[in-house]
Order: sequence, then C-alpha cells, then structure tokens
Amino acid sequence: MSTRRQAITLYRNLLRESEKLPAYNFRMYAARKIRDTFRANRVINDFKEIDRLVASGKESLELIRRQVIIGHLYTTDKLVIEQKKTLRPSDD
Amino acid sequence: MSFTQVARSCGRFAAALSTARLASAVALQSQSRMMHRIAVPAISTMLTQNKFTLRHYSARNTIEEIEHRVLKVVSAYDKDSCRGRWQTQSVRSYSAKPPLSLKLINERVLLVLKLYDKVDPSKLNVDSHFINDLGLDSLDHVEVIMAMEDEFGFEIPDSDAEKLLKPADIIKYVADKEDVYE
Repeated sequence: MSTRRQAITLYRNLLRESEKLPAYNFRMYAARKIRDTFRANRVINDFKEIDRLVASGKESLELIRRQVIIGHLYTTDKLVIEQKKTLRPSDD
Repeated sequence: MSFTQVARSCGRFAAALSTARLASAVALQSQSRMMHRIAVPAISTMLTQNKFTLRHYSARNTIEEIEHRVLKVVSAYDKDSCRGRWQTQSVRSYSAKPPLSLKLINERVLLVLKLYDKVDPSKLNVDSHFINDLGLDSLDHVEVIMAMEDEFGFEIPDSDAEKLLKPADIIKYVADKEDVYE
C-alpha cells in the first residue's frame, strides 16, 4: 500500500472511530486533533518520519477504539448543547 | 374512547352509588344492557334526590332528556364518526429508503457540498473538480466522501473513493449503487 493511501485510510478510520466516542468533549477533541495533526504533518517528506507517525496514528486508533468501548460502559447524560430540540405533536 | 369504555365508566360510577341503584336497575331491565348501565346513575339520583344532592342537575331532567344527552355523548365518542378528529392516521414505516431519482441525488450531493465549509458555493457546479477547481486537498476529499456516506447511508470503499473527483462522479456512483437509472 502506498504511503499516501495508507495515510488517507488511517485518517478516515480515525475520523470514523472518533465519531463513536460517547463523551462530547472527547469526541470533539479527537476530531479536531486528528484534522489538525494530519494537516500539520502533510508537508513531511521523510519516509522514516512518516512511518513513525503512521505507527503512532495506529496506536491512537486502538486507543480510541478502547475508549469508545469503555465510554459506552460508563455513559453519562448528554450535555445540554448536544440535545436536539424535538417537536412534540402539541407544539405544532 | 369507545362506546364500551363510556358505558364502563358510567357503570363504575353507578356502582359507587347507594343501594337505590339496585331498585332502578331492576326497573330498567327491559332496556338493552348498555343503555341500562348508562342510564342508571342519573335515574338513581333522581329517585333518591331527597338523600343525595350530589348530582342534583340530573334531578331536573326527564328520562327522555337524559337518554338524549347520553346518546349525544355516545355518538360523539363513536368510533367511526370520530376517526377523523380523534385518531391520527398511523403510517406504516417499512424500513425502505425513500425513492431516489437522478435529480434528487444531484440536489442532495450539491447540498452536502454547499454545507461543507471549505467549498465555495459560488464556484460549485456538477463538473467542478474537487482538488483543481474547488481547492480542496486530499484530506478534505476524504471528509467530503465521508459526508456522502452519511448522506446516502452506505459505505464507499477507499478504492472507489479516490476515483470520485467531481460531484458528477459521485452522482453517477450513487445512482449505480442504488440502481437508479432515470
């Protein structure tokens, strides 16, 4: 697999997995961190450095997967900002 | 509320009243069972109005008036005539997606792109290239494809995703996947 393809797949998997985090703050932090880190590191040309970063990205992916499971075991109430306003029939 | 429920609640109220109920119940046995149960509370109070002032309003009414009133209430709660007003038509939701057409796919794809903050809606059209015309990079492209996956509810594998470089490609891909030809 080419390095480029590998990085893009990793990016995608990280974003998809981070969406599943149940805690709002972790979820938002993860999405922001993933986007910013990939964008900051896109100029790197050194293959060794890229391999190292991809490996650490994979570790982070595993970490996020674990945290998703743990987060679902110990859920808390949603934050106020997460609650969508739903229309009840009486509201019309 | 159905006829039976009305009748039942009237009957329950009747049971709460005193023994006078029994006498009137016997007198009314010739009537149909339902009518007897509805009419009982009013009549029993009428018969024993010296003792009970609880429902004095019915004491002034004749049996005809009571019958008329009860029938009016019953017809108001009648199942068939109240269907339009009281019950909402239940919609069966089979878990099928709404039907798609090429035009609809087109609109949805463009809407998703317009809502993506890095795309300039004024430059956007069906044939604009994501990377060359719209100025997105490969990471943005991944996010666009993810947004399309969320919009249309199926997964686009990486090998296909990297070929989808224009909104037109996405529209064609989605139409192929969903078997939409017109």
